[in-house]
Order: sequence, then structure tokens, then C-alpha cells
Amino acid sequence: MWGSKQGMIAALLLVAAGFGCASWAAADATFAITIRDANGVPVHDAVVTIVPAGGVGDRPVRFAWANRMVQKDIAFNPGTLIVPVGAEVGFPNADKVRHHVYSFSKAAKFNLKLFGRDETRSHRFSVAGNVALGCNIHDRMKGYIKVVDTPFAARTDEYGQLRIAGLPGGRATVKVWHPLQRAKDGESSYQIDIPAGGVANKDLSLAMRPR
Amino acid sequence: MIRAWLPRHSLTSRITAIYATLFVIAFAAVIGIASIGIDTYVQRQLVKEMGASASVFDRIWRERYDQMASAGRVLAADFGFRSAVAVDDAATIESALDSLKTRLDIPVAFVVTTDGRVIGVDDAAIQARADTIWNDLDGGAESGIMALGGAMFGAVAAPIEAPDRIGWLVFAQPLNTADMADFAKLSPIPVAASVVRADALPAMLREGTGVADNEVKAREGGETALYRATPLASFGGKGEPHLLLRYSLTDALAEYRPMLWILAGTAIAGLLLTLIGSWLVARGVVRPVRALEAAARRVSLGDNASVAVGSEDELGRLASTFNFMVEAIVERETRITHIALHDTLTNLPNRKLFREQLDQALRRIGGRGKLAVVYLDLDQFKSINDTLGHPTGDALLRAVAKRLAEDLDRAIIARLGGDEFAVMVEDVRGDADFNILARRITGIFDEVFDIEGHKLRTATSIGIAVAPADGMDVDQLIKNADLALYRAKQQGRGTYRFFEPLMDAQARARRDMEADLRTAIAEQQFEVHFQPLFNLARKEISAFEALVRWQHPVRGLIPPIEFIPLAEETGLIIPIGEWVLREACRQAITWPEDIRVAVNVSPVQFRNTGLNAIVLQALTHAGLAPDRLELEITESLFIENVEATLASLHALRAIGVRVALDDFGTGYSSLSYLRAFPFDKIKIDRSFIVDLLKEDGSTAIIRSITALADALGMETTAEGVEEVEQVDILREQGCSSIQGYLLSKPVRDDEVAGFIRQLQSRADAFRAAA
Repeated sequence: MWGSKQGMIAALLLVAAGFGCASWAAADATFAITIRDANGVPVHDAVVTIVPAGGVGDRPVRFAWANRMVQKDIAFNPGTLIVPVGAEVGFPNADKVRHHVYSFSKAAKFNLKLFGRDETRSHRFSVAGNVALGCNIHDRMKGYIKVVDTPFAARTDEYGQLRIAGLPGGRATVKVWHPLQRAKDGESSYQIDIPAGGVANKDLSLAMRPR
Repeated sequence: MIRAWLPRHSLTSRITAIYATLFVIAFAAVIGIASIGIDTYVQRQLVKEMGASASVFDRIWRERYDQMASAGRVLAADFGFRSAVAVDDAATIESALDSLKTRLDIPVAFVVTTDGRVIGVDDAAIQARADTIWNDLDGGAESGIMALGGAMFGAVAAPIEAPDRIGWLVFAQPLNTADMADFAKLSPIPVAASVVRADALPAMLREGTGVADNEVKAREGGETALYRATPLASFGGKGEPHLLLRYSLTDALAEYRPMLWILAGTAIAGLLLTLIGSWLVARGVVRPVRALEAAARRVSLGDNASVAVGSEDELGRLASTFNFMVEAIVERETRITHIALHDTLTNLPNRKLFREQLDQALRRIGGRGKLAVVYLDLDQFKSINDTLGHPTGDALLRAVAKRLAEDLDRAIIARLGGDEFAVMVEDVRGDADFNILARRITGIFDEVFDIEGHKLRTATSIGIAVAPADGMDVDQLIKNADLALYRAKQQGRGTYRFFEPLMDAQARARRDMEADLRTAIAEQQFEVHFQPLFNLARKEISAFEALVRWQHPVRGLIPPIEFIPLAEETGLIIPIGEWVLREACRQAITWPEDIRVAVNVSPVQFRNTGLNAIVLQALTHAGLAPDRLELEITESLFIENVEATLASLHALRAIGVRVALDDFGTGYSSLSYLRAFPFDKIKIDRSFIVDLLKEDGSTAIIRSITALADALGMETTAEGVEEVEQVDILREQGCSSIQGYLLSKPVRDDEVAGFIRQLQSRADAFRAAA
């Protein structure tokens, strides 16, 4: 019940934003990207952020998904979460065992110790950047939170694809991040021209570290 | 090529040398092959074992790495340590590393962050190579050899994750000599092991760098070593570390040296045994061969040598074969000698042996004793041979030889050839003894010989010469015995004669005459005279008998009786007879046609097959009608080979020639001849004519002869008519014609014509008178 109510509110907000944008500027361009590794295998859970040359505006950024990183079956879910700067992210424990979630990342250093089942702790991410999450009890648990300052962000699906709509035409900076990307901080950056009202397509081959 | 230096004259040495050489070659090959084989085997074995050693080293270090890595992983997983690295708390990191180094006794430990910084070590060498180290770590390297300063370190890395990789914890431990010694102990072979940089490898290995796990053989002073360099995983770059294994091949091969010594010892012992063995075998072969060679040499010198047969092998068989061969040679030699000195038909000594034995006997008696040489031959042997055939003749000769040998046991008997035999008797004392001997020999022939169903009666003529009186040498004795035999034969059959010196003279005279005869033929010293035959019925000359005369340049006229027998004996009668025949025909053609010419033909001429042709040639050459030629033959012609004689006579008759039987009434006077051949004329011998006027019986004989001739349709001629009274009787008794000195002695050819005229007129008067 709680989930569906939240979803409805989010949908309404999105519609309102869409209307607002449409009436506010000509933001009708779309960016589509397909990411593969050197072997041609699609790369999923890569985060793509776009910052148009004209800026992202000062409207508060919101995404269609919840700012929540669940621990379930001794894993972080979702593995990669995109949140806007300043977002308060909840870390609910859905497992019977305890977890000790930590982060030594520059963007956010914290320890959320030994919380039990159905217990939720939260942390506010006030700096944009990459946050790697681990569990001090379970070494193999890894999760990532991408804290962004642009509304144009998404992660690739299992086919390595994503689409970002509602972009203004013109030059934009596209950044692609993946924890295993062979690049400084796992992030690479590209300049593209987005035709107004059209679709900018990009195929990207990413140099990856072995998993 | 080998023959050149082998001993030439000793088979033993040669065989021994060949075997020894072959043995040495064979064993040298064995040792050579064994040596190469051991070498190859050892090397291959070593290569394999060095490969194994390399893997042992690898395994040992992997264990060492694992130990270090697990210790490292413990620290790297420590939350405090991770947070210290994550927050770059260098002091905490260094203290944690220090405690780790102490605890694990590891001299080098440091942290490399993912952004390439090296924390926890002050070593400048490491700091300088931070990038290279990071690069290897980032490429996934977890362990390897790290060259630090002059030393080699084994290094391992453990990743530090929080939870993403934020760096690596790196441990390094030096590879000290003790470690390598430990390793060498674990190695299957005692190798010297070291880890060196590529540029510190021996030069020849360095050239092969890049080829993994290659072995190289190197000669170092007096030693051969086997090297193997295995590249090791490098950590932190620089130096390309290799595991270098060295093993002394010389030492390894030394272990096999005793084996080669044993082989060489065996070879020398074997060579000695081969030398002794082959020398013994060769001597075993050569000794009998030498014995054979010596025996063969003795045999070639004429000795009767044999070899001892020592074994039953090939050599033994060769020896016994050799002995057989020698026996066969001796036997054959004896036989050949026997054949050479004996007569094959009778197995009596032959002329050669007889002469030898006679010679020996003569030397032996040396003039003190007497010795008789008896020559004998069989009377009329030729006719037996001709009528009964040679096998019968041979059988008779054998039988005679047998009887001689049986009866004359102390004498040496030889067959000289044909029907001639010789007997030598020693120790005869006087003439009486010789006569007894001669009579014993003739007595042998008294008994009939029974040869293949034929009862043969034969006799022998014997000539005897006695040493020393008749000669003291072989040739003379033999010649004299032969002369005596000749004389005995002349005197008639079945008699014996002793040699007399006169015989020698006669023989010489006979030889001279023979020579003169040959000259006479060549120089035409002969003449033909003609004696007329008068036909009593027709009262005219019917024929002339041609009579040969020899006008000897020194001795004057020689009568036919003195030279015709010799001419017959020597065969010279053939050319003489032919000449007479031609001459007679040549003269006869000049005479009136009703006068014939009569020519005497010797039995020797009959034996010569060409008579018919000669007669025909004489007739045609002269152009004389055949019926004007009358050939006169004697009964003796029939003694030998009646059939052939008859055939010849018939052939002559067929030509048309007349045939008269001469001297009828002497000799055998067998009437069977008259029946056998239809003679044209019988000539009555002069002895009957002479007797006509003395004895009454003679007339009766003449009458019976003429009656017989008349009955057979033959003419008759009386020879030697000298008295007119004889003519009267002959006419009364029916004789056809006469011949003799009453009419005329033989006249020369140029007198014939005149004589015919004169006689014709006398005959006319005669006729008128009659």
C-alpha cells in the first residue's frame, strides 16, 4: 500500500514537471546510448549523466525511483542507485542477519553499524560523487550510490542501453561511470551535440577491468 | 686391401690375424655405440630431471607465495587496516606493516594504492619503480620475482578492498642461498640452482633467451655442464629473472665410466680368447693340410705316400680321399706300365719288355753261361685270320700263348706282334738241350687247337740264336734269331733252324739285291724276252710267253729264279709285273693277229686290288684285243683266300682275258681248282716232259692230264720240250701245244718277227714232212 501511494505521487510530480518543462523551454530532445565492453558484451548498471551546456537549471532534481538501498539476501538492492545531491537515502535491512554498511568514499564517509531486521537507517548525501558501499560483516557485498547534480541521469539496462528524454538541444557533456571502468574514479567524459527536438544516438565501447 | 699386410706364407697366422681384426672392429663398435648410447641416455635423463627440478622449484615457491599471500590477505581484510588505507592514514599503515613484518619475518612489506602511490617503505629503489609496480598489480600480477638492488626477492600481492579495490599489500622475501640449497636438496638430482637476471645468464643461454625451458651444454675447462634456464614470473619489472639450473655432465658420466672399463676389459679378454681359439682352430686345419702337402710332394716325386687319417671331418675325408687317389694313381701307373710293356691280347711281355729282359739276362750271364733266343711264328696264320676272321685268329694267338707259357715254365715268353713270338731260355748247357727245346716248342703245335668250335691245326717255324756264340748284345741276337727263323720258313713249315754265320752273309746279299732291284726299276734294267708256243694240231705258232730278264750292270744277266722271289717278298713284283704286262701288250700288237701273248702273274699281284685296272689299262694303251692276252697263274694263288682269288679271276675273264694254270702237276695239284675255275689252258710242268723218255708211267700221266683237259674243254701246253721224240709222244697223247728249247729259247723282242718268218717256213717244211 505504501509503495503504490508513493508511486502515484511520483507519477503526478513527473507529469507536472513534464508540463512545466514543456511550457518553460523547448526541452524535447532525446539521448540514446548503447554501452558495450571491449568484447562487445553489453555493460549494465553503468551510470550516464548529461549536463547541457546551458546548465541544468536550479530546479530541485528528482528521479522516478526511491532514494533507498535495501539489503536483501546479503546483497545491496539495487546494486547501483542514482540519487540527487542532498538526498536522504534509507538503508532498510530486509535480511535476518545483521549488516554493517560502511563507505570510505570521499563523497560520503559513514558507518551504519549492526542494524537488525526491518531496521532502517538513513544517510544524507550532500556532495556529488561516487560512493562505494560495503558491509564489514559480508565482504562480498558491494553497492554503489551515484550522487548527481543533474536531472539527466540514468543507468543502463541489461542490454547496456538507456534513453534520456526531455533534453534541450545543443552541446552537452556526457559522463559515463562504472565501478570497473578503467578510468580515473571509474568515470569517462564526452562532448556531444544534441539536435533540438531530435534523438542523439551514441554507441560506446568501454574499457573494463576484470570483474 | 687387408691381404696386403697379412702374413703370406702361414695360413695359421693369417686366420688368427683376420679373426683378431674382426673381433677388435666388432668390440670397438660395441664400445663406441655403448659410449654414445650412455652419453645420449644420460643427457636425455638429465634434461628430463632438470625439467622436473624446475617444476619442483616452481612448486616450492608457489607454496611460499601462498603462505605469504594468505598472511597478507588477513591484514588486507582487516577493517582497521582497510580504513587506514582508505583514508590514507600513512602512520597507521606503516605501524600495521611493521607489526606484520616482525610477526611473519618478512623484510619488505608495503602498500600500493590504486592511484599508484607506494606507502610504508622508504626504499628509494621501490619508490622509483612505483609506476612499474602499480602497472604489474593493475595488470593482475599476484606474485613474482622482484629484483631489488643486487638481490632477488620473491614478492606477493594481496588486494585491499573497501569494498572496491583501493590498493595492494605487497610482501617480498629475498631468495637467499639457504633457500636455494634447500631447494637443491629436494631436486631429484644434485643441481646447482640460482635465480639470475637475464643479463647474468651464461652467454650461450642468453642467445637462446625467449625460448622457454631450453637446455644448453657448455664446456667449462675440463668439465661439461648442462644448463637450463627457466624464465620466472617477474614482479615490478626489470631484469627478466630466470631460474638457472646447472648440472655437471662430466660428473654424471663419470658414474658410467666403470661400465666402459668393464667393457674394455671384456674386450681385451675376448681378444686374447679369440687369438688363442682361432690359432688353435687354424692350426687344427693347417696341420693336416701341411701333412697332405708333404704327402703330395712325395707322390709327385714318385713315392707311394699316404696320410694318416686323424678325424672324420672334412679334413679327415680329404685325407682318406687323398689316400684313395694315391692308391688309384699307383694302381693306374702300374697298369699303364704293364700295358706299355705287355701285349694286350695275350698279356705276354711285348717286344720292348722282351728286349729289356734280354738285356738284363745278357748282363747277368756275362759270357759265362749260355742263353737261347727263340723266334717263332705260326705257319699260314694269315689264311686262318682271313678265312675264319680276326676274333678266331686272336683266340688262336691267346691259346698259343697259353700253351707256350704252360709248357715253358722257366722261359720268358713274349709276343712281338702279329703271329710272332719270342722265347728266352737261360742255363741251357749244350746243343742237345737246344734241340730238345726246339722240339718241345714244335711239339706244342702237334695237338689240335679247339677254337670256338673250329679244330685248328697249325705249325710253327722256329729260328734260334744262342749267346754268347751268336752275339752278346740284344740287337745282334734278335737279328740272328730272326734270320734263322727266315731260313726255317724258307725251308718249309714246322721246322727249326739254328743261326749260322752264313745266314748273316745271305741276308746281307739279299739286302743288297733288294737295293739293286729298286735301282733296276728306276733305271729300266729289265727286258722282256719272248718264247714261242707251237700248236701241234695247226702246226703254227699260237703264242709267245713273255719272260722278264734283268740285265744287271755289274753281274750281267740275272735269271728270274734269283730275283723274282725277293721281288715278291718285298712287293717290288707289283711295279715289275705291271711293266712286263704293258711291254708284252705293246709288243704283241705288232705280231700277226692269231698270235697271243702269255704273261705270268704273281699271287702278290693278285693280292693287290688294282690288278684288273692295270690289265685293262695295258690292253687299251696298246690297243690289244683282250682275247690275245693270256695270264698265267700258279696253284699257290689258291692257298690264300680262295674266294677272293676266284672273284678276281672271274672279273678278268669278264674283260675277255684268257687264264692259264701254270706249272700243273707240281705242288698240291688239287683237282678242285680245275673244278672251281674254267681255265682256258693247263700248262704241264716240264718235269713230266723230261721224264717222258725215261719212264713209261709218264706217258700215262700226260694222257690222263690231256684227257681231263679235253673233258673240261681246256687246252694243254707242254713245257720244256727239247727232243723231237717228246713231240711225237705229246702229239699222240693229245697235247694241244708245246713250248721249249726244241723250238726256241726265249728271244729278244726285235727278234720275234724274224723268228716268226723263219719258224713259219720251217713249220711249213715240218708240216710237209709230217
